[in-house]
Amino acid sequence: MNWEQLAGSLAAILVLAWIARLMKLGESRISDPARACELAEDMLVGFEAKRAIVSEDGGAAIVAGNGTIALLKRHGAQVAVRRLIPPLRVREAIEGVAIDTGERLFGAVTLTGVLVEDVRGLEIGVGSHLRAVPN
Amino acid sequence: MPDLPDPTTLAIPAFVVLVLAEMIAARMRDRSRYCPRDTLTSLALGLGSTVSGVLTGGLFIIIALWIYQFRLFDIGYVWWAFILAFVLDDLAYYWVHRAGHRIRWAWAAHVVHHSSQHYNLSTALRQTWTGFFGLTFIIKLPLFLIGFPPALVAFVGGVNLVYQFWIHTETIGRMPKWVEAVFNTPSHHRVHHATNPRYLDHNYAGVFIVWDKMFGTFTLELDEDRPRYGIVRNLGSFNLIWAATHEWIGIARDVWSAPWGSKFGYIWREPGWSHDGSRETSTMIRARWEAGGTTTGDTSVRSP
Repeated sequence: MNWEQLAGSLAAILVLAWIARLMKLGESRISDPARACELAEDMLVGFEAKRAIVSEDGGAAIVAGNGTIALLKRHGAQVAVRRLIPPLRVREAIEGVAIDTGERLFGAVTLTGVLVEDVRGLEIGVGSHLRAVPN
Repeated sequence: MPDLPDPTTLAIPAFVVLVLAEMIAARMRDRSRYCPRDTLTSLALGLGSTVSGVLTGGLFIIIALWIYQFRLFDIGYVWWAFILAFVLDDLAYYWVHRAGHRIRWAWAAHVVHHSSQHYNLSTALRQTWTGFFGLTFIIKLPLFLIGFPPALVAFVGGVNLVYQFWIHTETIGRMPKWVEAVFNTPSHHRVHHATNPRYLDHNYAGVFIVWDKMFGTFTLELDEDRPRYGIVRNLGSFNLIWAATHEWIGIARDVWSAPWGSKFGYIWREPGWSHDGSRETSTMIRARWEAGGTTTGDTSVRSP
């Protein structure tokens, strides 16, 4: 591979990504609590979903399970998940609540239109209690 | 010595056109098959892989040429050597690939290719930057000892890679039965990229699926168990550097914190192995699923 091919490949990459954006590819959302439960059970070994709260924008959800909580976030057109052991680290955010995963690159997950109390209520169903983290 | 072309470089324009065509198909059928950021990450990893291949390829050629001087036969560039080398290289690829999934050190290099949760033609180009350091190329070295010229092996290896491009798609369902019986196809390779327990660590083939049938790693794609793509613990990040290096960093952390007697286990054992049994390997996930579970995926349990 020479410099021209390298530059051409880089240009092609940027053009393809731009076209994908123009075509509005990759748009998706977690539609409702039932879908969130289904996703959590599909993606986590032995997870039995009981109840879910979905972010207003469909970009995230938390699902109460058998002793653990599934934290879902939209990742591109797919959903990435982490299984968390309560108590969760939750803090109020301007648009809702943010739940910390403890992973810098996965990041904290924000659920819009959700209150800390909602998360607390869901966590009680798992059999544990919430630990709030100051902003 | 004939001046053999690099099949991968020649195929780049076709790769671009076919990715574009698949995007248009996704626009019409299912927009979730592509995501701009995922595509950008995959293609950038592919370009980085080409650059790292240039940097480390010289080392591989030096090793290959050194071994070639001890060759058992002078095969040269006769026509049948291309066919025989293609088949034997594909057999070697099967074992390289299998090692890439069953030895964590090699997996650290190969995981990059599996780290997209999408399965489309751009995923095919999502390649490692650290393939040489995974050391699985050692499995291909006997080809030079037999007497296949390094340039010939590089050529057939390139053809093999180009073949594997088109099988990274959901656009094609199943091929005719005879093709499915002999060749690696989109259906067979979707299985390979899936994290569903029944599919984990199956279908390692490059071109000929017969190797999986021969060595007991073949599984059919089932309509009732649609593949879910990615890795057992998906990244949840489009960070390019993290995608390229996360498993190497994971190994370093595990080796650092493990007791002395267990440190090497985190290097040469299968991904998911842990000295205290706190994690799950693909075999354990499948066993749990076969025992009655119906689910799959991220096995990690952590308290933030």
